[in-house]
Amino acid sequence: MNAFIPDTMQGALLLSAIDFFLSFFVISFIGVVLAGFPLLNRIGAWVTKPSKAKAAASKASEKPAAQPPASVPGGDDIPPDDLAVIAAVVAAMIGDHRILHIERQARGAEWSSAGRMAQHHSHTPRDR
Amino acid sequence: MDQVIVFLQALLEQTGAAHFSFGNLVMIIIGATMIYLAITKHYEPLLLIGIGFSCIVANVPGPPDDVPGGQAISALLYVVKEGGLFHYAYEGVAKLIIPPLIFLGVGAMTDFGPMIANPKLVILGAGAHLGIFVALILAKMLGFTLAEAGAIGIIGGADGPMAIFVTVKLAPHLLGPVSVAAYSYMALMPMIQPPVMKLLTTKEERQIGMAQSRKVTKLEKIAFPVVIAIIVNLFFPPVAPLITMLMLGNLLKECGVTDRLSKTAAGGLMNVIIMILTVAIGSTMAADKFLTWQTIEIVVLGLIAFMVGTGSGVITAKIMNLFLKTKINPLIGSAGIASVPIAARVSHIVAYKENPNNLLIYHAMGPNLAGVFGTAISGGIMLALIGVS
Repeated sequence: MNAFIPDTMQGALLLSAIDFFLSFFVISFIGVVLAGFPLLNRIGAWVTKPSKAKAAASKASEKPAAQPPASVPGGDDIPPDDLAVIAAVVAAMIGDHRILHIERQARGAEWSSAGRMAQHHSHTPRDR
Repeated sequence: MDQVIVFLQALLEQTGAAHFSFGNLVMIIIGATMIYLAITKHYEPLLLIGIGFSCIVANVPGPPDDVPGGQAISALLYVVKEGGLFHYAYEGVAKLIIPPLIFLGVGAMTDFGPMIANPKLVILGAGAHLGIFVALILAKMLGFTLAEAGAIGIIGGADGPMAIFVTVKLAPHLLGPVSVAAYSYMALMPMIQPPVMKLLTTKEERQIGMAQSRKVTKLEKIAFPVVIAIIVNLFFPPVAPLITMLMLGNLLKECGVTDRLSKTAAGGLMNVIIMILTVAIGSTMAADKFLTWQTIEIVVLGLIAFMVGTGSGVITAKIMNLFLKTKINPLIGSAGIASVPIAARVSHIVAYKENPNNLLIYHAMGPNLAGVFGTAISGGIMLALIGVS
């Protein structure tokens, strides 16, 4: 061993102080690096942009643009395909029905909603 | 009649019953308690069942060893003897083969998204490591060498493989008690942490809700293991084998094209390693080796390290709240000690009991994962300063 710190009580205090504060510094450095990660998405978007535009241009030259989807009552920005799947699942579960209202979950509360749903499902009676 | 008695005595001598001691009984009770807590309280059954069972078997004495003057050793220790199955299992621990493989599996199981999404919380991963140094100083005061004190202190990092890694480098003769203390306390964190967390927080603080963090893209998740592996290999070569394997496992998971490998690392391989590791650790708990003052001191110092680490994490979070516009729930500070995901789960459960609408698990995973790096960095600096390569 080529110790930088003497094997004494003072050495133990010195080692602890250096290690603790250096750990803080290094962890903070990792935090700063991680804070810069969203920049990667911009770079990624910038790198993939030309190829996407190229693909779109070649697609446009091959066939006419597709018809825009029809507006969905009550479904704000929910795609019609999703609505069809939801309706099919509801029909399979409860039979004939009419959708009166449909909306997205409150944005920013998906984790809480998922947690609540898991909690509610834990009380659901199950066939044994 | 006398001949019959002599014959029966000789027969008894060939069994383990004649060598059963009070210490064996104490250790069997400890092993049984571990199994009880795993089954009834669900305290980390993956760890405690194997450790508890092998602790019990290691304390059931067998016939005397076949070496001259040999002691009574258990059936389990027979297989631990050179050439036996668990001899190689223990060698895997002592020669640092198993800890990096555990990290490979942990990496393949872990989503580092919460840590990437909220980088400011990584500070908690450093704040919760004060326990390491308090235990180190106390160990030195009790007369341990600096290297031994460092190995004992690292228990407070609550990171089993890292504790094994650092102990093998600094004080290999303490591997048994240090690994037992580290893994046992990790499994018992649901009992150790909540009283400290409640003591240091008010009811209002425990009820602070936290908003959902941003979504992390696949590109970021793929870049993360590569970037971290470069940083750690560059600045912390002493602990690079562990973190590199952790990051390799994570890259296998996140890249999306090596499902077979990541499933094997996180599933079958990890399960085999857990079985080997827990039995290898439990088999070191024979009463004659475990019930010594030195071991008791290490176990007590480990407990102090865990409690101080929990407290310092909570206090770091409270200090951060003084500077943050959007307050964080200080309970996630205790997750900064590394044990993944046990510490994060404890933070979540304590907060959930205060407010059933407060689901902190994802937020607590950020500091919890940062704690893995915190322990690795602390261990790496310690090895470098004490002079171990």
